[in-house]
Amino acid sequence: MSMEQTYIVNSGTTRETMNRLEMDSRWRLGAPASLLALGVLMVGVGLGSPAFAQEAEGFVTNTLPGPPPAEQVEAGKRVYFTKCVWCHGVNGSGDGPGADRLWPRPRNFNAGTFKIRHTASGELPLIDVDLLQTVTHGLPGSAMPSWEGILSEDQRRDVLAFVTTELVQERSWQDEEFEELHVLELDKLAAAAVPASAESIKRGSELVIENKCIECHGLEGRGDGNAFNLKDDWGFSIQPADWHKCWNFRGSRQDAYNVKNIFRTFSTGINGTPMPSFADNTTVEDRWHIANYVGSLCERDTDVDIAGGQVTDEIAATLASAKPRGIDPLTDKPKVNFVIPSKFAEGELPKDEHDPRWYDERWEKEGRRIVAIGGQITHKPRNFVTRIDDIWVQSLYNETHVTMMFRWDDRTKSIQEDEVDWDPYEVNLADYGIVEQEPGGSRFDDDGMHPDSIAAKQTSYQVFNDGLAFQMPIKFQELPPPRKPRYFWGDEGFPVDIAKWTADGNLLAYEGTGWDQDLEGRDDFTEQLKLEKAEWKDGRWTVIISRPLKADYEADTYIELGKYIPINFFVWDGHNGDVGRKMGVSAFYYLVLEPPIPSEAKWYAGLAAVGLVIVEGWILTRRSNRRKELGTK
Amino acid sequence: MKWIPLVEGQMPMQMIAELAICILFFSTCNYLLKKAGVGVPKFWAGILVWCFVNLFYLKYRIYPPIPFSVRAIYGTVSACGIFMWVSGSQEEWLEFKRPIINVLDGNTAFTKVLRTALLLLLPIGLGAFAYNSLLPSFDEPIELRTVHPAPPATTKVHGKTYVLQTAQQPYRIDTEGKYDPAYSNAHIVDQSMGRLMKDVNSSEDNPWDPNAKGYIKHVREGGEIFFQNCHFCHGDNLNGRGLWAFAFNPIPANFTDAGTIAQLQETFVFWRVAKGGIGLPGEGFPWASVMPPWEQHLTVDEIWKVIMFEYWHTGYYPRTWD
Repeated sequence: MSMEQTYIVNSGTTRETMNRLEMDSRWRLGAPASLLALGVLMVGVGLGSPAFAQEAEGFVTNTLPGPPPAEQVEAGKRVYFTKCVWCHGVNGSGDGPGADRLWPRPRNFNAGTFKIRHTASGELPLIDVDLLQTVTHGLPGSAMPSWEGILSEDQRRDVLAFVTTELVQERSWQDEEFEELHVLELDKLAAAAVPASAESIKRGSELVIENKCIECHGLEGRGDGNAFNLKDDWGFSIQPADWHKCWNFRGSRQDAYNVKNIFRTFSTGINGTPMPSFADNTTVEDRWHIANYVGSLCERDTDVDIAGGQVTDEIAATLASAKPRGIDPLTDKPKVNFVIPSKFAEGELPKDEHDPRWYDERWEKEGRRIVAIGGQITHKPRNFVTRIDDIWVQSLYNETHVTMMFRWDDRTKSIQEDEVDWDPYEVNLADYGIVEQEPGGSRFDDDGMHPDSIAAKQTSYQVFNDGLAFQMPIKFQELPPPRKPRYFWGDEGFPVDIAKWTADGNLLAYEGTGWDQDLEGRDDFTEQLKLEKAEWKDGRWTVIISRPLKADYEADTYIELGKYIPINFFVWDGHNGDVGRKMGVSAFYYLVLEPPIPSEAKWYAGLAAVGLVIVEGWILTRRSNRRKELGTK
Repeated sequence: MKWIPLVEGQMPMQMIAELAICILFFSTCNYLLKKAGVGVPKFWAGILVWCFVNLFYLKYRIYPPIPFSVRAIYGTVSACGIFMWVSGSQEEWLEFKRPIINVLDGNTAFTKVLRTALLLLLPIGLGAFAYNSLLPSFDEPIELRTVHPAPPATTKVHGKTYVLQTAQQPYRIDTEGKYDPAYSNAHIVDQSMGRLMKDVNSSEDNPWDPNAKGYIKHVREGGEIFFQNCHFCHGDNLNGRGLWAFAFNPIPANFTDAGTIAQLQETFVFWRVAKGGIGLPGEGFPWASVMPPWEQHLTVDEIWKVIMFEYWHTGYYPRTWD
């Protein structure tokens, strides 16, 4: 959906656009949209029923707040110039020194456009609810952290007084003529929320199709519907939310699995983006169904196949019964376990993700592990944007082979089409023009579009191959723990065994001897690697790779049962311009092939029990003797 | 369920205070119940306190969770403490033992049933426990890393050798351009809540004042470098909770903690920043750290400035040699 369309369908944004027209604002992109919108509005007025005169279901009208006291604004200025200015800039235009390497780009406050609100689409937010919650809980998935515990509540309110009076320049909370606040009564509505039953989830899955949510968010809600053509009000590329990662929802308020947050965003829209409010065309009940469905897709303790969004009763029931993942309060992301267990599989190893052995009851809770991915920021060219921020890994083995299934959300399937000048084993690509984002700089004045910023460049990268690689040490048996080869393709004297898959269908084995050393092909081992499956579907890659357990001890990782084998992962998103060292990396994990239960366990357990019986007998005999003694006295 | 949040940097004190309050609460309850004539037997009170401390408080309250081996030590210590408490005098010890003796000796139907049940259940329980503990388990191995290893005597950055004992932060200068640590230390942020700059309207305290000169101007330049390079891991508030902090292990240093830059010399930080993770000695796990060797990305001047910013923004002084 283009921006213009959004403005027409969305009455709230129309009102906002009109304000801007009247106010001789520095509004740039919106001009054509505004004219269009004004036309629509005039038609509305002509018919005598402007769309915004009616209250959408679930909203009440609030009075505008008064101006904050001058002392509070002054106190807030002190907070702002200590903590916020570094990204949001001296004029609040979202152009501080940090801004050019950030995507999403820091908020430009000047126009008074704020994403997460309880107020109707296009309206200013509630300062002491919406903005306070944003500062308190942060905006996950962006660089905005939670300031709770760092700034006192008073300090947080002070800085909002400064931002809303001094930096929001094109609108005002005291502007009686143009501003209105229609507030979603979220707490009241949440008290009577529709429970997330299987029926509600199924109904929600139908409603997201009826309401065309899937056009942007994709059939399975992984944000892959219109992943690459969306822009915000400032012309910066943005992407639709991935419903499977609720902890990354900007409005998740450190309470990721609470569907109330989804209900709010769906009801009020996200100002400044193509995400409209659906308050005018859905009932409160339907909004709860949608929130329940969207919330149920957030990854839980089982990987539910939702069949391209065609949710059956059975799928809905599975979604409804799955348990939320543990969220780490230190990071507000799912908890990470650094051990990746591999279980024994009878017979041939699985060829696809549907094999029941991935899901059988031997896995406690579930077999897949989440691997957190960060940008490669150690060596040039650094990667400041990780479109892929986690991958899921699961492993099985038989007598001869081990297999690993990797699944990760990637909004775009990227296969390199243009010829490149370098060979796949080359890693120093600076000479070929693969360089990192320039830092931008410090600005005392607003320079407009920031065409050199990382946010402006997001859609203009040359497309390379999506890719995934994992490395394990060669001859790890000889390393004194905790020594490992360096996480970044090993180091001199401690080489690593790298298996790298790229979306053009190659699966190659390399030896790595350092971050800046060209990889060395290992053709004989490449022949033994097997790509069981590589498929991109509805915004998710599924890649299954198997390899022999015991290959050449001297040249490949020689895998033995019960050993902790250090392993780490690399991932490339071709549409992010990822290639060579520009990639995402993980920390060290351990792959452990769990050996069968030793028979001694049963013997020793029996022995311990029998031992205790003997001790008990002894105690009872003693007591009864003592009783007799006392009795004879 | 929402807990009272753990205050960053104050956790040990908070833990001790909370436990003390709980113990005080238990003692008061015990005393009041006894006064009311419904005293809890020592045996059950001891078990209750032990379970509260070990199976509840240490297991679920402390975050990040402490390993089982450490909890086992606390468990033993607290069991010893409880035994000392219940065996203060002969009468107390007898009172403590009474429920056990009653079960062993009693002749009522209830004690007979209980005795038989215990005789059967205890060996079964022990057997199951032994079986479980003999199963191969694959927990994360505990690897102890030295966070601040001993620095070298000298370090060579961009072709120039710096002696860590004598090298000097070149930007710690007053408005006249004279090296003056006392001046710079007077203009760091306040240590109170929020760690805010002292006066936003003073060109000596506010790095963003257009008239800022000397130290405070260089703080701004350092801050720009920090927010273009470092915040991705070390976080917008320098507390080690950046965007990708969760993806890496070892986790990024928390500069607001009194145990990092506050107890290091500025030249030590210079060495750590310039050489990065890969430049650490073995005990610092150079193979796992993603800390860049910043000499590959920044000039010497930029490194000094960003270090000065870190001290300014956290409100700490660098440790000095004297």
